[in-house]
Parts: sequence; structure tokens; C-alpha cells
Amino acid sequence: MVADKLNEDRFDEMLGEALRRHSEPVPADFTKKMLRQIKEAEEQEILARVVFQERVSLAGCIVFGVLAAVGVTVFPGRIVGILRSIAAGFANRGGALIDGIGQSISLETVRSEWQLYAILALVLGLAVCVVLDMLVGERLRTA
Amino acid sequence: MVEQICEKRQRKKWLRLLLSGDHKAFAEFIDKYKETVFLCCRRLGLREDETEDVASETFLAAYKGLRRYSGWSELSTWLWSIAYRQGVNYLRKNRRQWQLEAEPDKQIGGSREQGPAAVVQSRETEQIVWEAVERLPRLWAVAVILYYREEKNIADIAKIMRIKENTVKTYLFRGRDKLKQVLAAAFDEDADGGRQIK
Repeated sequence: MVADKLNEDRFDEMLGEALRRHSEPVPADFTKKMLRQIKEAEEQEILARVVFQERVSLAGCIVFGVLAAVGVTVFPGRIVGILRSIAAGFANRGGALIDGIGQSISLETVRSEWQLYAILALVLGLAVCVVLDMLVGERLRTA
Repeated sequence: MVEQICEKRQRKKWLRLLLSGDHKAFAEFIDKYKETVFLCCRRLGLREDETEDVASETFLAAYKGLRRYSGWSELSTWLWSIAYRQGVNYLRKNRRQWQLEAEPDKQIGGSREQGPAAVVQSRETEQIVWEAVERLPRLWAVAVILYYREEKNIADIAKIMRIKENTVKTYLFRGRDKLKQVLAAAFDEDADGGRQIK
């Protein structure tokens, strides 16, 4: 019997069989606990993402505000002129707002004041990204 | 044949669900592999409370990493590598990595409370073998379990344990040799009428 178990050819077989038959004790509610932990981790992740988005938005607002303040302080005449021309453009066009935007901001104005429009475009882009992420971001990530 | 195809399809579907982060599929994944993860943690010498913590961390890491699972290896091999890494990292953090090389001082049958004769009579080969494996140095024991129980090949074991294939072979050779000696003594004792082995 002993010799058979320790026989060179049978030994590996016996070892494998004996080890495979072994079952390791696991706490009964382990799966439930794990799923709860995973849900908590997911909630924390979502919360962290929202906090990050809020921070980015806040940082964007602060940077934009600071840039506007610096612009108004350093080039007061220029900024006031640009804002007036934009406001006048909107006001003149009245009801035909969508068509009017294109016409009120002429290519010449954009070319001469490109820094201001670049900042506006950046802010607009950031806003679009944040809104898109809020609406479809989660679905895209899980897909 | 038809059954095999259905099973394969079901497994593919389950795997797709699992990779997409489905909680039900992940619950099945935990049920299927929790024993394996606990086995790995305990063989590395973690205490009972530590074992549960490290097992939880392993499954959390697996859940987060599932989306990046590329299928380079079997799911069980992938999970083993995470569990092994988490266990070893835990020991390292607590400055207990020496434990991996040391030989556990557990004696076969030493922890039993029943009378020796009754114990030995009821002991089966499985139990004797398992107790012998528990006496091996941790790394040898893990290699032996991966090879004989989990039926992993040398290359997979090397990947899981992050060591060279030759080192795995050495662990297996030495582990098997030691097991043979220990088991010979244990079976002899059994055959001699059930004296407890010291």
C-alpha cells in the first residue's frame, strides 16, 4: 500500500489527485461582502470624478476671470472696444441671432483679436466637454 | 459535441459580461475563484484576518483590472498572479518576506485534539498530503500547488511568481523530493498502527 502510493509513476498522480480534492475554507458571506465593497468603490470613483469636474470648471472660471481682469487692466480701451463691438453686433442683428453671430464677428475682427477669441473658444470647448461627459460619458465608459 | 459548443458560447457570453463590469457575472467570478485566492494567501503564510483583507484587495484589483484583461493567459492564471503579488506585497510591507523562504514549523497531525489512534485511522491520503505540503517552505508549496493542483505549466508558474522557469523547476524538484520523504514517513506511521508523527 505504502509502496504503491510512493511508486515513482504513481506519486505525481496521487499528489495531484490529493491536492485537487482539497477544498479551502472561505468565509460564508465573502461574495456578498466583496460585492458591497465593489459598489462602495464605484460610488467613490463616481464621486471623485464629479469632484474633479467641479474643480476643472472652477479652475476654468478662475483662470478666465483672472485673464479678463488682466486684459481689462492692461488693455482697457481695446477690451472695452471689442466687447462693445460684439454687443453692438448682437443688438443690431436682433432677432436673427444665429445668422447674426457669423456676420457680427467678421473675419477681420477675429484676425485682429485672435487672443480673445482663442480664450473664448477654449472656454466654450471646455464647457462642451463637461456637458458631454455629464450626459453620455458614463455610458461611453461602460460600453 | 453540441453541449461543448453551447458551453463554450455560454462561457464567452459570461466573459463578455464580466469584462463589461456586470455585477452578477463578477459575483459568479468570485464564487468560482475565492477558494483559489484564499489558498494562495494562506500558503504565503498570511494570518486569518490578513488573508481575508488580501483576498478582498485581490478581487478589488481584479475588478478594476478586468477591463484591461487582454486574455494573454487563462483567467485563473491572471487572478493567481494578482493574488500572489498582493500577498507578497503585504508581507513586504509588514517586513515579513523572510517568511517565504522559511520552513513552517507545523508538524503533521500536531494540531489534532482527538486521540492519536482515532485520528490516524480516519486520516485519508488527501489530508496527509495536504499537511505535508503545508510543511514545505512557502514558495515551494505555492509552486507545487500551482503545478499539481491548478495544473499550470512551468511558464505560467514563472509568470505568476515572477521568477525564472529554472527556479520554478528547482522549487518543484525540491518540493516533490521533500514531499516524498515526508509522505513516506507519514504513510509508514499510518501503516504501523497510527502513531502520531512528530
